[in-house]
Amino acid sequence: MAFEPSQEEMAEMQKLSNDYEPEVTGPLVSELLPSSAITTEYANADPVYQRKTAALPHKYSHYRTCRGDGHCGWRAVAFSYYEALYNTGNKSKFYSEEARLRSLGNLLNQVGFPEHLYEDFAIEAFQLLQETAVAMENNDGGAKLLAAFNDESLSMSIITYLKLLTSAYIQTHPDEYSPYMNHGQSVQNYCQSSIEPVMSEIEHVGMSALVEVLVKPAGMAMEILYLDRSQGEEVNTYRWDPVDGTGITVSDPSTLRLLYRPGHYDILYKMEPLPQSAIAQPQQQPPVFVALANAIDSHIPQTIGFSDYAIPGLSFVSPPSLGWSSMTTSTPLYPSAQSPCYDFAPTATPIAAIPAPAPSSNLVSMPQHHANSSGSSAEVGSHVHTHGHSEIHADLNAHGSTHTHALAHSQSHSSHPHTTTYAHTPATMALPPDFLVSGMQPEIPQTPPVGLSLGTPSGLAIDRGGPFRPSAWELKPNFSAAGLGGVPLQTAIFRNSHYNTAHFNNPDFQPEEWSPETELPVHERPRKKSAH
Amino acid sequence: MMDPSAGFVGSDSGKTSTPMMGTSNQGNVTKRLQSELMSLMMSSTPGISAFPSADNLLLWTATMTGPEGTPYAGLTFKLTFQFPTTYPYAPPTVLFQTPIYHPNIDFSGRICLDILKDKWSAIYNVQSVLLSLQSLLGEPNNASPLNAQAAEIWDKDPAEFKRLVIGRHRDLSDEEILEGLS
Repeated sequence: MAFEPSQEEMAEMQKLSNDYEPEVTGPLVSELLPSSAITTEYANADPVYQRKTAALPHKYSHYRTCRGDGHCGWRAVAFSYYEALYNTGNKSKFYSEEARLRSLGNLLNQVGFPEHLYEDFAIEAFQLLQETAVAMENNDGGAKLLAAFNDESLSMSIITYLKLLTSAYIQTHPDEYSPYMNHGQSVQNYCQSSIEPVMSEIEHVGMSALVEVLVKPAGMAMEILYLDRSQGEEVNTYRWDPVDGTGITVSDPSTLRLLYRPGHYDILYKMEPLPQSAIAQPQQQPPVFVALANAIDSHIPQTIGFSDYAIPGLSFVSPPSLGWSSMTTSTPLYPSAQSPCYDFAPTATPIAAIPAPAPSSNLVSMPQHHANSSGSSAEVGSHVHTHGHSEIHADLNAHGSTHTHALAHSQSHSSHPHTTTYAHTPATMALPPDFLVSGMQPEIPQTPPVGLSLGTPSGLAIDRGGPFRPSAWELKPNFSAAGLGGVPLQTAIFRNSHYNTAHFNNPDFQPEEWSPETELPVHERPRKKSAH
Repeated sequence: MMDPSAGFVGSDSGKTSTPMMGTSNQGNVTKRLQSELMSLMMSSTPGISAFPSADNLLLWTATMTGPEGTPYAGLTFKLTFQFPTTYPYAPPTVLFQTPIYHPNIDFSGRICLDILKDKWSAIYNVQSVLLSLQSLLGEPNNASPLNAQAAEIWDKDPAEFKRLVIGRHRDLSDEEILEGLS
């Protein structure tokens, strides 16, 4: 009844099955790709994979694919090794590695590899070291290295060389590796059947030996992240650390990172080891102004400040519909190199320092707004000195640097929308956090805890200042452009009033100071300071 | 040798992978085979020899004598090696041209030996293949025979096996070998 294939047909099918080779495509080693692509790839997969891959891009920003042609593990290690040398930026490191690898010729001879056969592969490996050193000096961004590894012949030479090194290392350390052999298989036999063949993918014993012979002596660490269906929220990581001559673990080594999925290796990158060229230059975005309703000086511009106070139970998450995410990601809102044409939000005196803020009185809280009149009144945004919380910004004399600092900081913590700080009425402060978060007022005044550590960059915040309830208009990304054109941002009246800290009647009087840094464009310095 | 564009495969031009290196390895094959030839000539190993054909470096003929203490002792065998352009990252195709009776060699001269298939390593060469084949003659792998009858007789009746080996053997001239190839 059932279809019974004849013996010939079975043989034919068996042959087809044996000869089947999955079509492998893609570059041998790809360009850097954002690792969020991995998450996307697994979006419809098993929930374990979904969870693990969702967590991946937080730690590992980029990856490179390796072609799944049966050599990907070897190739991934080889490429990462060369790339790690490239990223040291140290030419002498290439020389010392070449010398070390050349000396390993003894190991190859010891296990009987004919020199006239292995030297072709070794020479290619040494030559690539030299060429990569030159490419590094020319600052080619790794293009040469990538091209070399995408040359199949050259790629195979280097893989073969590493296989021979690995095999020789295992055979000369039988005590370490024979426990891993099956059924009394000799290490030599193992190497001939599992390491040396061209069509042999790296397995754990081989990987371990390769790390011992190639990676660790170069002062590098190796991490392999296993993405499989085992339990857990994150991928399992296996790490090898290099030790120095005295057996002490090298601190902060260059680390090669591989992502292992059953049967396949790719190369992973954490944020910090990325070559400079790979990090996108921050886009310049015009400053975002917001205007507050009900201000006495009707157009005190406000720079929106972000901060990431991690206040348990009080974290504010703006509804995504308000468009914050687009503003908070990636771009420094403060274009540091541009002309200083924005105002800086006057800051609120920290709550503890406010003797008795009068509820709902704009006037009373106005002394917290202090503006310097260093710009013309018609200009959009003269510098405004920040006062009133000298314990926060005591070290920051230059105006500009204060908010640059805070903004650059928030840029790197963009997941938290801005938290505004106000001089609060006691009643507001007494509101339960749930109330603050709920409803249509995502920007309800938020009080920083008094004991917050303000000395660290993460404690810095741009305070909105004033008792003003934010307007929904502030949240419109293009509001400033639409609404503030040509409006004088500081009036002569204000400048000459005692609300200005430069006025001697101001309780927080501080004379105007000339700071050379404000005359010059504020360069990257403050951003670097808070770079994470 | 390292033209950046030569071996680069863009992510969407993917079909180039199967013939592994195309022509980019041609120079390497030539260099490698010349080096092997040099080495064979410098250190002659008793019982084996090999030489490229007159007009094609990728086609070699080899000669091997049967090892002492085996049914093949005293016999001479001719083989051909056809090297792929991806050599040494893919094994040569090795055939017995001399008719041979052996559990792991079929009547067309095809050989069943792992190092000529999935266990091939780039560190093997003509010499090591010939040495492996010599030892295969004395130690057949009867677990996976190409010639099942030979495997059976090898175990049961050594004298009969020897008789069959001698009966099948016939010396060939080089001309006959090259004729058989074309």
